[in-house]
Amino acid sequence: MLKLNLFLLFLVGVNAGEQINSYLIYKNVDRSIDLTSQLVKITSTITLENAGKDPIKNFLVVDEPKSDGKVVYRGVKDSAKQDLNLLPVQVDGSDNKFHKVVLRQNLEPGRTATVVLEEIIAKGLAPYPSSISQKEKQLVRYFGNHYIYTPYTVAKQKTDVVLSSRSVENYTKLKPVTQSDNTITYGPYTDIKPYTEDQLVVHFENNAPFLTVTRLERVIEISHWGNVAIEEQIEIKHTGAKLKGPFSRYDYQRDTSSSHHSIKSYTTVLPATAHSIYYRDSNGNISTSSVKHRKDWIELELRPRFPLFGGWQSSYTLGYSVPSYQYLYRTPEGQNVLSMRFIDHVFDDMFVEEATTSIVLPVGVSDVQLIVPYQVEKLQDDITYKYLDNMGRKVLRMRKNDLVEQHIQDLEITYSWQPQLLLHEPLLISLALFILFVAVIIWVRLDFSLGVPEHSKKE
Amino acid sequence: MVQAGSKKSSVSKINTKAGISSLIIFVVLLLAWIAGFSSRLFAVIRFESIIHEFDPWFNYRATAYMVKHGFYNFLNWFDERAWYPLGRIVGGTVYPGLMLTSGSIHYILHLLHINVHIRDVCVFLAPVFSGLTAISTYFLTKELWSAGAGLFAACFIAIVPGYISRSVAGSYDNEGIAIFALQFTYFLWIKSVKTGSVFWAVAASLSYFYMVSAWGGYVFIINLIPLHVFVLLLMGRYSNRLFTSYTTFYILGLIFSMQIPFVGFQPIRTSEHMAAGGVFALLFAVGVLKYMQSMMSKSEFKSLVVFGGLISAAVVFLGVVLLTYAGYVAPWSGRFYSLWDTGYAKIHIPIIASVSEHQPTTWFSFFFDLHILVATFPAGLWYTIKNINDERVFVVLYALSAVYFAGVMVRLMLTLTPVVCILSGIAFSGLLELFLREDDSSRGEDSEEEEQSTPSKRLYDKAGKVPKMKHEQSRDTDNIGPNLRSIVTVVILLLLMLFAVHCTWVTSNAYSSPSIVLASYGSDGTRQILDDFREAYFWLSQNTADDARIMSWWDYGYQIAGMANRTTLVDNNTWNNSHIALVGKAMSSNESAAYEIMTALDVDYVLVIFGGVIGYSGDDINKFLWMVRIAEGEHPKDIRESDYFTEHGEFRVDAEGSPTLLNCLMYKLSYYRFGELKLDYRSPAGFDRTRNAVIGHKDFQLTYLEEAYTTEHWLVRVYRVKKPDEFNRPRIPIANRIVKSSNYITKKNIKRKKGTIKNKPLVVKGKRLSSKQ
Repeated sequence: MLKLNLFLLFLVGVNAGEQINSYLIYKNVDRSIDLTSQLVKITSTITLENAGKDPIKNFLVVDEPKSDGKVVYRGVKDSAKQDLNLLPVQVDGSDNKFHKVVLRQNLEPGRTATVVLEEIIAKGLAPYPSSISQKEKQLVRYFGNHYIYTPYTVAKQKTDVVLSSRSVENYTKLKPVTQSDNTITYGPYTDIKPYTEDQLVVHFENNAPFLTVTRLERVIEISHWGNVAIEEQIEIKHTGAKLKGPFSRYDYQRDTSSSHHSIKSYTTVLPATAHSIYYRDSNGNISTSSVKHRKDWIELELRPRFPLFGGWQSSYTLGYSVPSYQYLYRTPEGQNVLSMRFIDHVFDDMFVEEATTSIVLPVGVSDVQLIVPYQVEKLQDDITYKYLDNMGRKVLRMRKNDLVEQHIQDLEITYSWQPQLLLHEPLLISLALFILFVAVIIWVRLDFSLGVPEHSKKE
Repeated sequence: MVQAGSKKSSVSKINTKAGISSLIIFVVLLLAWIAGFSSRLFAVIRFESIIHEFDPWFNYRATAYMVKHGFYNFLNWFDERAWYPLGRIVGGTVYPGLMLTSGSIHYILHLLHINVHIRDVCVFLAPVFSGLTAISTYFLTKELWSAGAGLFAACFIAIVPGYISRSVAGSYDNEGIAIFALQFTYFLWIKSVKTGSVFWAVAASLSYFYMVSAWGGYVFIINLIPLHVFVLLLMGRYSNRLFTSYTTFYILGLIFSMQIPFVGFQPIRTSEHMAAGGVFALLFAVGVLKYMQSMMSKSEFKSLVVFGGLISAAVVFLGVVLLTYAGYVAPWSGRFYSLWDTGYAKIHIPIIASVSEHQPTTWFSFFFDLHILVATFPAGLWYTIKNINDERVFVVLYALSAVYFAGVMVRLMLTLTPVVCILSGIAFSGLLELFLREDDSSRGEDSEEEEQSTPSKRLYDKAGKVPKMKHEQSRDTDNIGPNLRSIVTVVILLLLMLFAVHCTWVTSNAYSSPSIVLASYGSDGTRQILDDFREAYFWLSQNTADDARIMSWWDYGYQIAGMANRTTLVDNNTWNNSHIALVGKAMSSNESAAYEIMTALDVDYVLVIFGGVIGYSGDDINKFLWMVRIAEGEHPKDIRESDYFTEHGEFRVDAEGSPTLLNCLMYKLSYYRFGELKLDYRSPAGFDRTRNAVIGHKDFQLTYLEEAYTTEHWLVRVYRVKKPDEFNRPRIPIANRIVKSSNYITKKNIKRKKGTIKNKPLVVKGKRLSSKQ
């Protein structure tokens, strides 16, 4: 971890003071803004062209300074669908936040290359009106930019805005614009100067679940007897339009339409080998859930105790076990490696505000190394005691804010451990039972009373 | 094994016999423990490891608090979430034995790093203690009669429904550990009476101390033991053993019991405890007289006894009366009175009478809870009376008083059950001793066989195969033929088997429902879980303000505090009758009158239980008359029970119901929008399944409250009390408030027209009248 941080620091230090190459132009940009869920997903297919004389190694993408919501994920792929590295950099004379994308092959003068930029923005859709009654539909507004915000000149650009429904209240009409079904197409626009901004507003009906995981605590416990236990404590909140006025069960029971802004249930996907699944809260088992076994995963349909309306929250604990052979293996050097997801799927298009992951290592580990897929905040290590432990177990803890599905990635922990420690606890129990039996034998066979023993009187 | 042992030397013979008999005792007790433990697990297996019903939720909450904050903070705990706005001093108003027991189990387990959640400790505490109860019953019966009777009694009490009803897994209540403490105290008391040793008397008082810390039923002990002493004195069975044991027990027990904050000075200041003190004095008086007897002539002594006895009795009696009158000694409490006069509570304390477990017991429930034992225990009683001695006097008194109390209150069935088990154990043991006795003379080994009959007899109640073979070989002696013997044995075994079957059936069907999770079975056997209580409580805990105050009937106070963690107005610790009456008044008044009470009490939410959709009979409408009665007791001017009945004196919710009922808050909250709901195609809209009637008042709106949440099966309905600005007129945010400006000014300022007379008709010759220019 420390190594990785140093590495990142090193990179940041080197790349400070980047220049914008004005010879690079975006020849063509195809943007698709997906507003069907609670997240804003912008996929831009960019054709880069080198209009200069020198080969170009990299290009910059920039955060839009005035935008609602927060870019929680950004990824760039080249035409071969290979991930390209993104590094935060600074550009002289600009306050914007830049990220440098290093191309795999230099872009020779006059040549073009295609990259796909994927951005996911959380909280980019604001419910408007912000509170609605039970019967009303949920309307949201999206504030965006008609043009791609970039430090380069764009020769040609087209934007598709995909909505969740046909009912659109209102949208900005920067010509040429067409609406068909649930798609609004802006453009093509040509010759756009760098940093051009023009507000795009779409006000439309979106009854997708606006469910936010406000807090997720994930505990992974390794047992070398062959089991990895996972427990997640999850707090969820409906972050859509708030419920105004009363909640009527009668109306709720009569309303059988499938698209409603309240959330009745959602699906969590677990690994296919998961077993001993439990779903409970502080008051005990939540009896409304069902498990479906698919070929490659397990679908868990979770119903909170009550339907969630805007502003309502709930919390629960979900736990399961997986056999360790899929996640835990030994390197030829005798090290143990655990490869486990930092977070796992909670529901489709999820947004996790804060996630804490703890890994409970077996008793007596040493040389612990941690490799994380993205930057996380490392918390203080802890010691915990599980069943019959007299030596504590080391707990690695880390935290990260603002996660989406794209953050479901593996982290790797490498550690050394002696297998004979497995026998520690069985031996303890045997010893305790042995002492108990010996004590009983002594107690029964020997007479401890000071007076005349009672049974001798009887005889 | 036995035969092998018999051929060895006499020393090893004794060892083997003792070994076998203790092995059998150990195995039978262990099996009784396991059987008792497992038959209490129906609820856990069918549902989950969860705390049941009402009071256990408070005990659990208090235990969790103690585990979290420590014992001393628990003793000083002031719970501001109960009895708003009064609060409750929990440490001083609770028997802490239960919490201490499970808290220390939890502590020890965690010391060994066995990470058990405190909830699981609480859930399984009563089943574990049932095993201890069985063992102490064995010891008690062994002291009273024989080891064989003890094993019978232990097996009976392990599975008898009368005790299981209070000790299933999850029923985390005082009684669960108190019956163990009760039996153990009695065992130690008998032991100390038998031996006259200070050691056993001290042990008895320590056990009594544990009982005092665990349950208010300790009063039963502190009256029964003095009664035992008193009767022994009357029977002329005074002895130094009795003197030593009672004086030691009483003094130590008194001091110990006063250490419990909730009990405090009650043992010397209330009438319930006075008998023990009186007997203590009497014992001394008798002791003195016995001493004097040795020094005086017979006539002198006689007159001394008569006069001295009369005078001292008069002085003691007058003293107690005077102290009571002066207020130093509290008179008997209402609950105590209701033990003597079953009609007392109904007239004077409706809140006691409103609890179903305080009703007199029906014959049916005697059989239901005790089955065959109810028929056999008089036989055991007869055996003990026939062979009376000091300690058997005790069990006779125990049986007689417990039968009486069990007849008065269903709840006290619990104190009857142990003695019924003991006496039935004695009865069965006596029967089998007679019918299973091997004829010693016909066999060569005399003493050997005599000894052996005890273990083999014990084997009969577990598995009747091995001894039966031997039994067929037995020959005709004692005028009991082998056929008669086998018939009687088979009948007894059948009875015992039926008893075991009945116990399991009752436990499974009647006493193993957590009552906060309901289950209904469809016609195809599928089970549907109705989890409405937890749904509502969890909704409250997640989606209301942390300091929200919730008004509900007192039954649900502990559950709301335990599961929703919100402030309640009244709860199951019914210490303040007028506060409960105020809530009852709010529920039985009309909406606007109720709103005044609710504002005065700072109520944010109102919770009612409504069973009309699923046919749940324990809902608030069915309890409603008790609310009215309790409210009437405190506010007779505002609430009259007769207003809630029809002219024919019926309590009906349909169109013929009394208008007061149809407009009271409880009715409106239960049936709000229910009139629109059609449950199925056959019944009309608004059909109440619990009361089998179409409700009388259907289309009404709530002015002062709004529906906040209703659970899936409408079982729990939560309403929010509106703030005053919400119901007078719709509230407009300040930003949206538009002050209407009159057109006159704008017109003049903007268009700069000269002044006109509004709507002045303009008359033009030859044209129609027009107001326009």
